[in-house]
Amino acid sequence: MAMSIAPVAEPHGSPVESPVKAADAHREQRIAARAAALFQERRLFGWKRLDRAFAWLMAGQWAFAVVIALLVSPYGWAGKVKAVHFHVYLAVLGGAVLTLFPAALAAFHPGRALTRHVIAANQMLWSALLIHLTGGRIETHFHVFGSLAFLSFYLDWRVLLTATVVVAGDHLLRQLLWPESVYGVLNPEWWRFLEHAFWVLFENTVLVLACLTGVKDLMHAARQQAAVEALRESDEVKSLALEMALAEARR
Amino acid sequence: MTRRGTVLAAAGLVWLASLATAGRAVWDYQTTAGAPGEPPPRWPEGSRVPAPAGGRATLLVVAHPQCPCTRATIAELGRLMPRLRDRAAAHVLVYRPAAFAPGWERTEVWSAARRIPGVSVHLDLDGVEAARFGAATSGQVVVYDARGRRRFSGGLTTSRGHVGESVAHQRIEAIVTGGETADGTSRVFGCALATPQGD
Repeated sequence: MAMSIAPVAEPHGSPVESPVKAADAHREQRIAARAAALFQERRLFGWKRLDRAFAWLMAGQWAFAVVIALLVSPYGWAGKVKAVHFHVYLAVLGGAVLTLFPAALAAFHPGRALTRHVIAANQMLWSALLIHLTGGRIETHFHVFGSLAFLSFYLDWRVLLTATVVVAGDHLLRQLLWPESVYGVLNPEWWRFLEHAFWVLFENTVLVLACLTGVKDLMHAARQQAAVEALRESDEVKSLALEMALAEARR
Repeated sequence: MTRRGTVLAAAGLVWLASLATAGRAVWDYQTTAGAPGEPPPRWPEGSRVPAPAGGRATLLVVAHPQCPCTRATIAELGRLMPRLRDRAAAHVLVYRPAAFAPGWERTEVWSAARRIPGVSVHLDLDGVEAARFGAATSGQVVVYDARGRRRFSGGLTTSRGHVGESVAHQRIEAIVTGGETADGTSRVFGCALATPQGD
């Protein structure tokens, strides 16, 4: 007798399968929710930690600026007489402006988007101040690129955008008002500010990609931790049930 | 708005206003040029600085040794001289009041100028030579051609104490090496050479 083996179709919504699927779906939902919470928690923790780090960095830059001003240009002269140089006042007072507000935000509003963006803007203005205090030394311009790299630790590409807008805005404004102060020539081509901005954008492209990858990695890690926690929880429930069953059997 | 929000907004406004004020102060400082002086149209007689000779032009630079801005001028002179390809000699006159102790003028300005090939450094007691060349601001550069005619007067930096390429470089290079016929000027950024009255 010939036997035909037909595939046995599993009916959807079978009364045997549905509780398992529902439990899996529920478990997945719980893992996803926990992963999202862990992700937010870690991001917030990282942002707060970086806000504090930048507050210290700015205090350090403030001290550095004052030392630079005192060493490089302590006095302005007119013939035989001297007076405290403008740079000393600028380092003390301008440094205060660039440090105190972001530091206060880091202390009282840590982890907020506003704090990050104010810090980013101030960090780039610190570059401008240090470049000014060192007489436009090309080496000081590296501060711009170092600062962008530091800001990328936030893993928030919008922060880099704010920093870039501040740098590009400074250059554009100078090009419009006094091009010689940026480019050394009176009538630079209109696209010259783009040439400078290009190198910032070049670094930004890498940093933005690093930010996006960093966020993805953070999400992945949060998801893994949530899954491990769920597994541990499930094991604990099973162990408890087993212990209760054994205790019941002994009676 | 909560009390905290109000404080935050007020602090933000103070921050923005302070930034604007500081930016304006920096701008004013950077762009305020010194007195342009009135260098004589021909090489002054009686000057102890060697007059142009050998078919070469002469750059005369007046420097206050303690002026921070003048360090940038000397740095720019160091960048300019190689571009002039031995077609010009340069003399830096370093000011010192006669009442001040010798050595007061031996600053970074002095030593940096001495390190530049083709540059001679001279002590200018009480700014006598600077006055002869009509200079009023440290960093003033006057270029005389081989026949002793003034061809350029101004500064080498684009703003106070700021290094970098400037229009003055291009003009001086064109005058000395390219046969540019038009005279050139630029603004001078640096400390005043004259002591304010009453001090």
